[in-house]
Amino acid sequence: MLNVDLFVNGLIVGVLYALMAVGLTLIFGILKVVNFAHGEFYMLGSYAYTLGAAALGISPWLALPLAPVVGGVVGLVTERLLMRPLYSGYSSWGFLKDEYAVVVTFAFSILLVNLVDKVVGPYPVLGPALVDVSRFRAGPIMLSGQKALATVIGVAVIVALAFAVRSTAWGRRIQAVAQNRLGASLAGIDPARVSMTVFGAAGALAALAGALLAPIINASPDVGAFPAVKSYVIVVLGGMGSMTGSILASLVLGVLESFGAVYISYGYHDTFGLVILVLVLLVRPQGFFGEQGRVV
Amino acid sequence: MKDGLEIVKDMVNKQGGVNGQQITLIYEDDQGIPEKGRAAVEKLITRDKVVAIVGPHQSSNCLAEIEVAKRYDIPYVNTNCWSDDIRKKGYKQVFNPANYNSRVAFAMAETLSGLGVKRVVAFCENTDYGIGQAKAVAEALKKKSPNVEYHFETLDRTSKDFTPAIVPLRSNPPDAVLMMMLPPAAYIVMNQLYEQGVAPSDKTWLYDGAGLGDYPDFWQNVKEAGKNLIEFGLYHPNMGVPKLGQEVGKTYQEKTKHEPNRLIYQAADSLLLVVEAIKNAKSTKPDAIIKALESMQFSGVRGSFKFSEEPGVSYHQWVDIPYVTYQFTEVGEPVSKTTLVQGPNLPLSVDKLKKAK
Repeated sequence: MLNVDLFVNGLIVGVLYALMAVGLTLIFGILKVVNFAHGEFYMLGSYAYTLGAAALGISPWLALPLAPVVGGVVGLVTERLLMRPLYSGYSSWGFLKDEYAVVVTFAFSILLVNLVDKVVGPYPVLGPALVDVSRFRAGPIMLSGQKALATVIGVAVIVALAFAVRSTAWGRRIQAVAQNRLGASLAGIDPARVSMTVFGAAGALAALAGALLAPIINASPDVGAFPAVKSYVIVVLGGMGSMTGSILASLVLGVLESFGAVYISYGYHDTFGLVILVLVLLVRPQGFFGEQGRVV
Repeated sequence: MKDGLEIVKDMVNKQGGVNGQQITLIYEDDQGIPEKGRAAVEKLITRDKVVAIVGPHQSSNCLAEIEVAKRYDIPYVNTNCWSDDIRKKGYKQVFNPANYNSRVAFAMAETLSGLGVKRVVAFCENTDYGIGQAKAVAEALKKKSPNVEYHFETLDRTSKDFTPAIVPLRSNPPDAVLMMMLPPAAYIVMNQLYEQGVAPSDKTWLYDGAGLGDYPDFWQNVKEAGKNLIEFGLYHPNMGVPKLGQEVGKTYQEKTKHEPNRLIYQAADSLLLVVEAIKNAKSTKPDAIIKALESMQFSGVRGSFKFSEEPGVSYHQWVDIPYVTYQFTEVGEPVSKTTLVQGPNLPLSVDKLKKAK
């Protein structure tokens, strides 16, 4: 029974990891850079939902959309102001773009954490639950209503996103830019516009994850560090830029952490992902679903 | 803590200051990160030329900061760092009107012994405070109730999912779960213990050794998970405080509309100690302040004491610092309405404690 419990809990955690990681994956797929401020979009969503509901005195259900809106808008602005130099001056920036992306997103992350710390305060705040069920038994496992609901919404959002990327015109434009930026622009796609919408979507997804988990994981200025670190591991594990790989890696990581904490030691709970990452990279450097490299 | 410091500063300055000089407080935020704490103390001493440091919080930070205070020979009044190791260093610059882990361990072991528990699990954070307290409880239990089976699990305070550490307790619940963690991780663990039905429950007591119960944000963050929590505390409205303490508490309540809490009093005493030491020494020279702190009998907002000179955990410590044990029985219950189970003038009566249903 313990094993079933651990497995289901691991899957739930995995879904929540996936909600964070897919946004990071999309950004990497399009811009080929890692966004080190991704965790802070989670943090902004967590606060937007929690403080929005309290300040406006509205139902948590009405406050929930605030999070992706805030995350999305900050994402769009971030792309326009900070990421655009990556490809607007293509010839001069090309060889420095990795360094630029690391420095600018890392600095932006520190700025957001300190800004929230000063403006809102360092104290943790628990978000209001969307459902008033503090705990219930589902077969062998115990869950809070919020965790169950966050999982259901998380799965629905991931499925909808996967569908949108595979089957809509917007998704096909993303795939085109991800495959070949120059080729996509020759075919009439505006890569800058696609990059901006992807950054906005990634911000919205991370912020939604923050809002859904705010009633479980209290909002605080540094709350984004934890999901961000997991997301980086997941993105590399799944294969840089592969959405399917990220989702699978999220679930694998969630389950492994759950079992490892009990059968090895909880003390190593947060290191399992890194150990698995090293092992997988030794055998398959491109990750679960990444391509080894393609020259056209 | 800032409120406590400001109240005392205003109070003293209104009365003419110290030896005719007004007090100026300079704040630095160490963000709970030892490296930042070390840098902040260095800056306060070298650039701002402060005469003393007050207000530190979190043991790992204190342990880093006292090295700087020692190097520059500046008095350092520990407001809320509980690790015994801070005292064991034996630095003459460091004074501890704050609570300490051995004191909590003694109190917890006494209560657990009174409850007659057989198996106890502690969740401690991976810091000098958390691990130190978990080990101190092990020592105290060995003396008080040698038959109790006790083990502690160290949790990363930056982690957010503690379910894998909690789930295994469901099939074999202990008689008591002890908490030795600070927020926000402490609140998350409490909520997940409740979610998993482990503690507080009809089988398992939940007992907090970090004094979280009177944090102003406690009930905002824990809800049902805080009901039936047994709390180690350093302040309870019914424990009685001196006239000066009542005055500080009243000012705080008027200023913030919150009930006074231990952090206000601890901060107030820290600054008052420096004020009194400067008055007694008639000087702001570090050596003079340190000598005055060592020799004076201090009457503050929480009571009267003299720092011990005994080496080890008692060094420069308010050894008999008063504490209370109380229990929340309702969600959102203010500390003033909780059941006081033990206090400075109230012997422990565990029969007042109620298990969750």
